Amino acid sequence: MKLPSLYLALFFPVILVGEEISEGEKLFALHVKPLFAEKCNACHGDEPDKLKGDFDMRTREAILRGGEYFADEVLIPGKGAESYLYLTTTRTEEDYEMPPKAADALTEQEQWYIRDWITEGAPWPDDERVEQIQEKYAEGVRVTTSKALSDDWQNRRYQPEDLWAYQPLVRPKVPKLDSTGSGSTSNPVVANPVAANPIDLFIGRKLQELDLAPAGEAEPRLLIRRATFDLLGLPPQPAEVNAFLAAWEQDKEKAWIDLIDRLLESPHYGEQWGRHWLDVVRYADSSGYANDYERPNTWRYRDYVIRSFNEDKPYDQFVREQIAGDEITKRKDAEALIATGFLRMGAWEHTGMSVAKVTRQLFLDDVTDSVGQVFLAHALQCAKCHDHKFDPVPTRDFYSMQAIFATTQFAEVETEWLPEENRNGMEQDKSFHLKRIEDNKDRMAMLKERQQFYEAKWFQKRGLSYQSIAEAKKAGLKGDELPEGRLFEKPEEFALGPISKKWSNRFSWEMDRYRPVAFTVYNGKTRKPRGNYGRIDMPKDPMKEGALEQTAILGGGDPFSPTDPVKPGVLSAVPGGLEYEIPETVGGRRTALANWISDPDNTLTARVMMNRVWQYHFGKAIAGNPNNFGATGKKPTHPELLDWLAAEFVEQGWSVKAMHRIIMQSQAYRRSPNHPYPGGVKEKDPQGISYAVFTPRRLAAEELRDSMLFVSGELNREAGGIPIRPDMNMEAALQPRMIMGTFAPSYVPNPRPQQRNRRTIYAHKTRGQRDPFLEVFNQPGPDLSCEFRDTSNVTPQVFTLLNSEESLDRAIAFAARVLEEREGKSDEEVVYRAFKLAYGRAPLEEEVAGAVAHWQAMIEVQEKASFEPRVYPTEITRRANDERTGEPFSFDERLRVYEEYVHDLQPHEVDARTRAFADLCLVLLNSNEFVYVY
Amino acid sequence: MNTRRDFIYGLGSSIGSIAFSSMLARQASAYPGPGAQALHFPEAKAKHCIFLYMEGGPSHVDTFDPKPKLKELHMKEFTRSGEQQSAMSSGKRYYVQSPFDFIKAGESGADMCTLWENLKDCADDMCFYRGMQVDSVNHPTANYQANTGNQFGGDPGIGAWVNYGLGSENEDLPGFIVLPELAHPQGGAANWGNGYLPTNYQGTPLRPTGSPILDIQPPKGITPEHQRKNLDFLAKLNQRHASWHPEHEDLVARMKNYELAYRMQTEVPEAVNIDGETEKTKEMYGIGSEPTDEFGRRCLLARKMVEKGVRFVQLYASSWDSHDYIEKAHGSLIPRVDKPIAALLKDLKERGLLDETLVVWMGEFGRTPDNGVRGGGKAYGRDHNPEAMTVWMAGGGCNAGHTIGATDEIGAKAVDKVHHIRDFHITLLRMLGLDDNKLTCFHAGRFKQLSQFGGTVIDDLLA
Repeated sequence: MKLPSLYLALFFPVILVGEEISEGEKLFALHVKPLFAEKCNACHGDEPDKLKGDFDMRTREAILRGGEYFADEVLIPGKGAESYLYLTTTRTEEDYEMPPKAADALTEQEQWYIRDWITEGAPWPDDERVEQIQEKYAEGVRVTTSKALSDDWQNRRYQPEDLWAYQPLVRPKVPKLDSTGSGSTSNPVVANPVAANPIDLFIGRKLQELDLAPAGEAEPRLLIRRATFDLLGLPPQPAEVNAFLAAWEQDKEKAWIDLIDRLLESPHYGEQWGRHWLDVVRYADSSGYANDYERPNTWRYRDYVIRSFNEDKPYDQFVREQIAGDEITKRKDAEALIATGFLRMGAWEHTGMSVAKVTRQLFLDDVTDSVGQVFLAHALQCAKCHDHKFDPVPTRDFYSMQAIFATTQFAEVETEWLPEENRNGMEQDKSFHLKRIEDNKDRMAMLKERQQFYEAKWFQKRGLSYQSIAEAKKAGLKGDELPEGRLFEKPEEFALGPISKKWSNRFSWEMDRYRPVAFTVYNGKTRKPRGNYGRIDMPKDPMKEGALEQTAILGGGDPFSPTDPVKPGVLSAVPGGLEYEIPETVGGRRTALANWISDPDNTLTARVMMNRVWQYHFGKAIAGNPNNFGATGKKPTHPELLDWLAAEFVEQGWSVKAMHRIIMQSQAYRRSPNHPYPGGVKEKDPQGISYAVFTPRRLAAEELRDSMLFVSGELNREAGGIPIRPDMNMEAALQPRMIMGTFAPSYVPNPRPQQRNRRTIYAHKTRGQRDPFLEVFNQPGPDLSCEFRDTSNVTPQVFTLLNSEESLDRAIAFAARVLEEREGKSDEEVVYRAFKLAYGRAPLEEEVAGAVAHWQAMIEVQEKASFEPRVYPTEITRRANDERTGEPFSFDERLRVYEEYVHDLQPHEVDARTRAFADLCLVLLNSNEFVYVY
Repeated sequence: MNTRRDFIYGLGSSIGSIAFSSMLARQASAYPGPGAQALHFPEAKAKHCIFLYMEGGPSHVDTFDPKPKLKELHMKEFTRSGEQQSAMSSGKRYYVQSPFDFIKAGESGADMCTLWENLKDCADDMCFYRGMQVDSVNHPTANYQANTGNQFGGDPGIGAWVNYGLGSENEDLPGFIVLPELAHPQGGAANWGNGYLPTNYQGTPLRPTGSPILDIQPPKGITPEHQRKNLDFLAKLNQRHASWHPEHEDLVARMKNYELAYRMQTEVPEAVNIDGETEKTKEMYGIGSEPTDEFGRRCLLARKMVEKGVRFVQLYASSWDSHDYIEKAHGSLIPRVDKPIAALLKDLKERGLLDETLVVWMGEFGRTPDNGVRGGGKAYGRDHNPEAMTVWMAGGGCNAGHTIGATDEIGAKAVDKVHHIRDFHITLLRMLGLDDNKLTCFHAGRFKQLSQFGGTVIDDLLA
């Protein structure tokens, strides 16, 4: 990429010839005309045959003429305050608020521009003169972009602060701070500023501005818990805590660095940070919409992401592989093909009822927008129908970006297994899957029998002896002599046909789970899609069938209304973007895009990723909307820090792990969650942007489940492989779920604890059937890119954590584990161990005493309690309405997994003492200290 | 930090020891929603909405829009093609007449097929609309469009928007309750999601069987006293912990949630219990007899919820997707909902609630006047039709006693008073006093709204 040229066309004075410019003309050229274009003309001029209220605003004469309402009072030259053109913008005229959308309301300043312009006589200089006036007086900066739909948009100006993300990335100078105190204390904003981490100097300068001293360093026991959750998503082991505390005593800096190194080497690191990435790309194991078919191979992409983080794959390479892996690799290796699965992460399906152009466009819009959000922090969808309202992204750029994908086609391609891919458990899973297929075959055979029975009956009624239609046809019967339609009599007979047919189709596609298929793309012509009920094969000759797509700007985003054809290109407002060439060849477009994104000179890429990384460490981003760096996104609180991180990131060879080390070694990261003068922090930093104190966070849904399994000793830490199926609330798991024309098979867990009690990132993620445990703790839905998770605090979380069988199972296992480990020891020692496991700290004496007392009290309660073995249904009867008959029907589904299901330890299997201790454990798992990280 | 506005979604400050029954009592003051700037039509009558969603796409020509012309055309073959057609609607087609007879109901003479034995008595309270069109010919996308305005999912449900704008009348109950069938519809819970609005606007489904809310009961064998002891110990641990982090407000909110949850375990099942209703009422809704029991229960529950101040109740009745055997399928579906819906309208009216409760009946699209050949024989069913459908409203200030708009002579396409569904959404909000253009939320770079892009109110639907 060339160095960015001067892209901000800052104004250069032009000497105007002719008469003096009046105030009114100035108002018109600088403010009123652009306002009309942006806020009014869509309804009052752009489409002259569809004028709202018959009011045309394209010329002065037309405005003077007025429309259906207010007639000649719309514009009374010289009387701004009385003209309805002004009055309607003040939104005081009920039912005539203009523009109608509150979101488009003019600011008071803008309203006054219109009023004052009218008062000045409402002059209307011609376009040439307007341009001259704008050249001379306009504020703000222009941005050169490809070509807008309208000239007004093309010429519009931006507030420089809204363009921060397009500024070339220059490594900022690190501020020099002395160690004098700040705020009401003598605490310095930075300890030892000479040797300090640059991060702390940037943050220190802001603290100085706020006149705020930061909190001190957190206790080491908090630090190890914080770092371990941050990098692994799991709590530290008690032994690890002990070792760290001892090392800290010796040399705390070394202990800290060693800890970070150890954690970064853990295979669990990639699981935690891969999860963050999967939130952004909307990972799921199913396709969504009507059929919500399983995507049997996306798990290979999930593992690719985890591996990439574990290997510390340079981020620029990570970007290139996901956008253009298939093009870049010469030898079509599996890794690269799997990586481009990224392009297909959105929900998508094409059924017999779909319109080909519509579903194709669904993909194109989705991939364009998601590349924009994920790598460039630009919500490009906003520019799909009109030039972007706030950012310098013309609609042309949306479709130029889209043209890059015009030759991108779906395929599921057989590859080799990669040596690092985990194939454990596949055989076992498959054997169970085959049983499901068998059961379904039985159902189909039974139906066939019923059909034959009814056919024979039909003929018999007519005194004929044919046993089937086929037989009758053979004998020459036709037309009215044969029965019409299905002969079934009972609703379940009608319903079972579609169920078994659909299931047969689903199950056979799901067999791909056990094959080394890559969910990927290739380049070629766009074929007419078939109903997408199975693997999409790669054509032998990708240029043979179908049409080569020519991308055009779509009127109103409608695929049936193409307008101007466009060439592939990138965002023209980004320095270098306008000149950047994407080849128009069938292949290579995505490589060119990937190279542009991963170029160190791209002003967005490194900033976007560093902003995300920072956010996951601190619980807040520097620029508050990691998917939106445009004018409407939150501005960076520490712009120079973000730039420094981004520049350093590039310098470190795009190593994410190097950046973790730098960030985590800062004083800001090691800060205490408690400030000595919290009132002062609230007062001086009401928005909480100072990093004067470390903000605690609630565990994410996956961290919570994983941690419960971890402390209960049940977590199988095996990495990767086909999706696991954890235990799910039974009512939710067996909840009938409509899919196209019928019902989906039930959710069933893996039969063995070691298979299902694995980390949650490996859990099967079905778009149409979310795990309520995870959903209630704010696991985001996989339909929209999630830039940051909510952490709501809602009552159903209590039901889940306190009442669910999953929670109870963990508590029992936790209790049994500790009692076994401390067999023969005193109650105090048992309790001590449980606290250590749950909180990573030793309990206080009074905590031990209180816990022992509670345990004793609960033994009495538990001795009177009785628990039945839980019943696992090996068959369920499901009731639903059949759409063919409109009548209720029921059918049985065998749940073969429960025939060989090995349940987790249950209350009835342990004694009252253990159960009572499990009560204590359940309380620990529900407690705030377990659920929050400080 | 959350507020005490919702009983399901988030409880912050204390609700003290008020009994749940009084929590459920209707409260005089309203708690405004963040979208309160959208409350713009003080004359609007509707304060609540009961949305009867007929999933699958009920056939307008077999319910409320008779087409005698189809009798002439019955089984006549024709072909259809075109770029915008899906595989489903291409190729050889046959016209299919309605197997049902129609009557003119009420003084207004509304068209209804004779299967609406009970609903016909309510005709003068209903406003039928035949001009609506939607974009999608597929169920999940059409469901999403009907329920969220956006075909592709992920946006807030109508009920979420309504609560966002109107706020709560009873902050101890969720403002958006969904009464689904046991089977969730195509597209699942995203049909009543909160989208980009705060989580507390999410629809709360009350399950028709089993526990109304998942895990609302402790596991078998654990008594309330047992659990109380654990909760007391939990409170001790949490209190000590909170004293170490006095600035961390979430801790307190979370502690309070445990106390609320404990009370709700007994109170919620009572709140959704209809045993206290009179036998007469139950009989009126068809409870205790088939085929109306199931939907009747939910209609009655909807009335109860509205009485308690719930803003938006959505009921699902599934399997209207009658591709084959329209006579059999619609013939059995209509009697399942006819009596319960009629009872709901009458009951609301008797209690003086109909004026302030907008009842809406619709599916995701209408059906075609024709069908292809299916399954070897001719099946007299109908395919999906996004260009024509019938929706109706009752109460809430709708133009009762009128039929607005019309479809062509075979019911293939709306031809009079034609509006996109977005205009219907705008009208629905308008009837609840909300201005769609003001009911917006900034997300992913732009202001979003239920109608997606704005539109117009369908004035004819307003009284």
